Amino acid sequence: MKNLMPVRNVLMAVGIFSFVLLGCEDKINPTLESATPILAVDGWLNNKPESQVILLTRTQPYFENIVPPGVSGAIITVSDDHNKTYSFVEDDTNPGKYQWKPAVGEVFGTVGYRYKLSIQLSGETYESSAYMGRVPLIDSISFDKDKRLGTKEEIIRGEFWATDPAGPGDTYWVRSYKNGVRLNKPSEIVVAYDAGFSAGGLTDGVVFITPLRRGINAKDKDSNGKSLSPFLAGDSINVQIHSITLAAFNYLKEVQVQTDRPGGFQELFSKPLSNVSTNISNVNPGGNKVVGFFNVSAVSGLGKRYIP
Amino acid sequence: MIKLIFAFSLVSLSFTVSAQDKFTLNGYIRDSSNGEALIGATIFVKEIKNGVVSNEYGFYSITLPAGSYSLSMTYTGFESVAQTLILNKNIQLNGELVPEVEQLQEVVVQGDIEQANVQNAEMSTNKLDIKTINRTPMLFGEADVLRTLLLLPGVSTVGEGASGFNVRGGGVGQNLILLDEAPVYNSSHLFGFFSVFNPDAVKDTKLFKGAIPARYGGRIASILDVRMKEGNSKKFETTGGVGSVFSRIAVEGPLIKNKASFIVAARRSYADVLARPFVPLLKEGGALNFYDLTLKTNYNINRKNRLYLSGYFGRDNFKFDKTQGFNWGNATSTLRWNHLFNERLFSNITLVYSKYDYALQFGKDDRNSFSWNSSISDLILRPQFTYFINSRNELNFGGDATYYTFQPANAVGITNGKAVDISLDRKYNLETALHIGNNQKITKALSIEYGLRFSNFQYLGPGTAYYYNDTIRGVRRSIIGSRSFKSGERIATYNNLEPRLSFKVQTSSTSALKGSYNRMVQYLHLISNTTASNPLDVWTSSSNNTKPQIGDQFTLGYFKDVGKNSQFEISIEGYLRYTQNQIDYIDGADLLINRYLEGDLLSGQGRAYGVETYLQKKTGRLNGWISYTLGRTELKVDGINRGEWYETRYNQTHNLKVAAFYDISKRWSVSGNFIFTSGTPTTFPTSRYIQQDILVPYNANESRNNVHLSDYHRLDIAFRLEGKKMKHGKERKNSDYWIFSLYNVYARRNPFSIYFSQNDQRVPQGQPLQSQATQLSIIGSIVPSVSYNFKF
Repeated sequence: MKNLMPVRNVLMAVGIFSFVLLGCEDKINPTLESATPILAVDGWLNNKPESQVILLTRTQPYFENIVPPGVSGAIITVSDDHNKTYSFVEDDTNPGKYQWKPAVGEVFGTVGYRYKLSIQLSGETYESSAYMGRVPLIDSISFDKDKRLGTKEEIIRGEFWATDPAGPGDTYWVRSYKNGVRLNKPSEIVVAYDAGFSAGGLTDGVVFITPLRRGINAKDKDSNGKSLSPFLAGDSINVQIHSITLAAFNYLKEVQVQTDRPGGFQELFSKPLSNVSTNISNVNPGGNKVVGFFNVSAVSGLGKRYIP
Repeated sequence: MIKLIFAFSLVSLSFTVSAQDKFTLNGYIRDSSNGEALIGATIFVKEIKNGVVSNEYGFYSITLPAGSYSLSMTYTGFESVAQTLILNKNIQLNGELVPEVEQLQEVVVQGDIEQANVQNAEMSTNKLDIKTINRTPMLFGEADVLRTLLLLPGVSTVGEGASGFNVRGGGVGQNLILLDEAPVYNSSHLFGFFSVFNPDAVKDTKLFKGAIPARYGGRIASILDVRMKEGNSKKFETTGGVGSVFSRIAVEGPLIKNKASFIVAARRSYADVLARPFVPLLKEGGALNFYDLTLKTNYNINRKNRLYLSGYFGRDNFKFDKTQGFNWGNATSTLRWNHLFNERLFSNITLVYSKYDYALQFGKDDRNSFSWNSSISDLILRPQFTYFINSRNELNFGGDATYYTFQPANAVGITNGKAVDISLDRKYNLETALHIGNNQKITKALSIEYGLRFSNFQYLGPGTAYYYNDTIRGVRRSIIGSRSFKSGERIATYNNLEPRLSFKVQTSSTSALKGSYNRMVQYLHLISNTTASNPLDVWTSSSNNTKPQIGDQFTLGYFKDVGKNSQFEISIEGYLRYTQNQIDYIDGADLLINRYLEGDLLSGQGRAYGVETYLQKKTGRLNGWISYTLGRTELKVDGINRGEWYETRYNQTHNLKVAAFYDISKRWSVSGNFIFTSGTPTTFPTSRYIQQDILVPYNANESRNNVHLSDYHRLDIAFRLEGKKMKHGKERKNSDYWIFSLYNVYARRNPFSIYFSQNDQRVPQGQPLQSQATQLSIIGSIVPSVSYNFKF
């Protein structure tokens, strides 16, 4: 076989040459079917001491890259199962933005209560309900050094530490803010079922599993597509755990599947496009359709600055 | 099982009694150059204008009234042997056929004699000759069984990068792929770029798309039966090749003269560079490679007994860095015992062990890591008998018993040294089947093959059965109860009768009409809701919640040979298949490490229909074939596409393939293939809305697969240069050849998928989110390659 070695070297060179040219992605502008706009509700409320907002817009054509116009004139109330009703009032300067402003020292909602949303708009009534679940405290946040995947370059990664309370079926959305800016990319959605990924994982009552704890790191890339270190000296992180309903957990997992499309090689593992669910319905089943979600969360949070 | 064999023996005895005044001619047909058994060689008896075909072990048997007969033994690519004999006792006649002197190379898809397609009762099958496989231009110049299969009518793929293949609108998991009778759960290396079959070790490949004999079962779309070489029993031989992606070598030869031979074949890729265009991170410690080892040996104990032992072991490695990554692979081993009870009763008992597994490893050290592996393994016992009753009847009967062990997920997460085990329980199943089938020539013009398969499937303890609430359209079903079962207790049982029937009417000496009906039942399900099948797809069994898939297929075809020496073969074949209990998934289904997976599955019905047309020129300097399939495959599942029929992801309306081979000179030949298929369906959104700063796509019509990707077409060309036959005036002992190939000659960017997403840039508060559509081509350029192949 020795005499075949030069042949092999030539072939290797041909191989390398050909592989480099292989895969490619092109941005395209396909024509899409047209559709009648319908009401979209963005109603995620929590018990942080701040104004609570419900946004009403309409669905837009997929490629219409403008801020969707708000839907004015709705009457929105949220009432709990202990005879308290919160009225959401439309903002004068921001059509479609409906707010409930707490009095000093007041917060929205109580853990363990059930909430009912009612939206009256143009003669139609849309309803939904949600339950405010419990939330564990965040014990600490740590930073550690690691190598960027497949390289020798050092990166700093954050990790939060919390333990799911005993009793199965708690569901959470872990939301993080880096230097005050919310990490809101589809790839940055972190949802937990107890301390793991799903009900089938049997992770009740334990410390959140590693991928969840490390899910708080920003996924940013430079202009060459190289991923950046999540933290540099002086960066701060604020981690919040929001309790969510099981329906919201399922919803966010669906949203993640439908919106987190890194492309390239990972397309081999991607799932077909399908509509995510909604927990809002028109009381008249034959009436106008609606999309969006309503959820009420109890929130725990902790922040830390990375100082090497 | 012993009882069963006994019962069958009794049946066969009663046949023997009624055939006293006749004599049997039997034996083995082999290749004189290397002693390999010839599968499907024809032994034709002139006086009765009828004949038999050698089986998978080269054995044939024909029983005739006493008399004088002239026989011919024929096999494509070999010189025919003619012989006259007087049959006044049972005679054993082994045939050794001599390969035709290498004329200009000839390519044959149907391995049988000319007109075979017309004279054989089989339909909806394609045999692929290894010569054809070796000459078809392929990606990186490497001969490949599965990728050549894709050039045949009715066979398709969703694109480069997809594991497996689709047959007549069936899913990837609906094909039973057998390597020396061992099921292969993942037939692909490197995400479908190559198949696991080493062409140096493959002898015969047969794809059953319909009219499936009763001895096969377990999948509803097709059976791919790959048989390995036994190894040269005459002399030592080494074959191999050096290519751009991998190198391969095979050694074969006799162990004991005329008693035992072996073959060992190995491949190892150095294709880690393949990953670079996709994953730039793979430079430090990363890897993407595969290797496989195929071996087989046989021992001829005596005239009535022969043993075969074969095995395959292969693995793909994909590493992100030194400690993180995943790997997957199959391992199979097959032990076979051929036993001749008497001149007319041939038996084979097979024992198989097969395993497919994959493993993932993440984490930077032992104290913080996540490891996960999953596997499916089978232990199979399969006695098969063929009773050659007379020249008109060939009875096949036998059984199957398979014990499956599923390890859906063996997963451990370790955090600061503290381990959390989130493994799922193993699942155990037993699938058994009894089958009987007869191949009967009723008149000269009419022959039929009929059979029945009875299959039984048991989901066994130890295990926990889960019970779910009823399906609410599109919503994950919640668990309402569970029950533990002890070891050996039956959790769920299914019984099915699977009738098989096919007929052939010889309408003239060169034309035939053939039709078939068969029911197939599938108890294992490939769980995959990704764009294309991939190595991490899990297999799951039927259970108290998931019912077995059932497929009923009807086919009708017309076959004709035309031209001088019947050098052209034309066929047109229609198929129609209805399927029940097809699996689809709720939106947002969680398929990995999910104890309650069954709550995320939906069940529906399917239908597939189409027409396959095929024209082949079998001989001459220019030969090859054209295949065109017009087809449709659809599913109907409550909760998807408004409950209406929708096209499956692998539906292709038009599917045209042209394969041509031309001999330029003694040393140069060129081959080319062209493929055109309709773009596969995909789903586009109509609208968008924003939810908590995230841009959500929305299809207002609730459609699934409402649009099609642009059409796929591709031209590949390969040149083959034979090495010099003579050196310094003497004939060389070695032979070699070069293959120079161009894949995707005109560098078309065939779309693999189109995906919709929001732009990855962070958007300041108040600014609109940007939506975009991206078309991905797995191979978007021309791929040249060279390989050097040798034999000595």
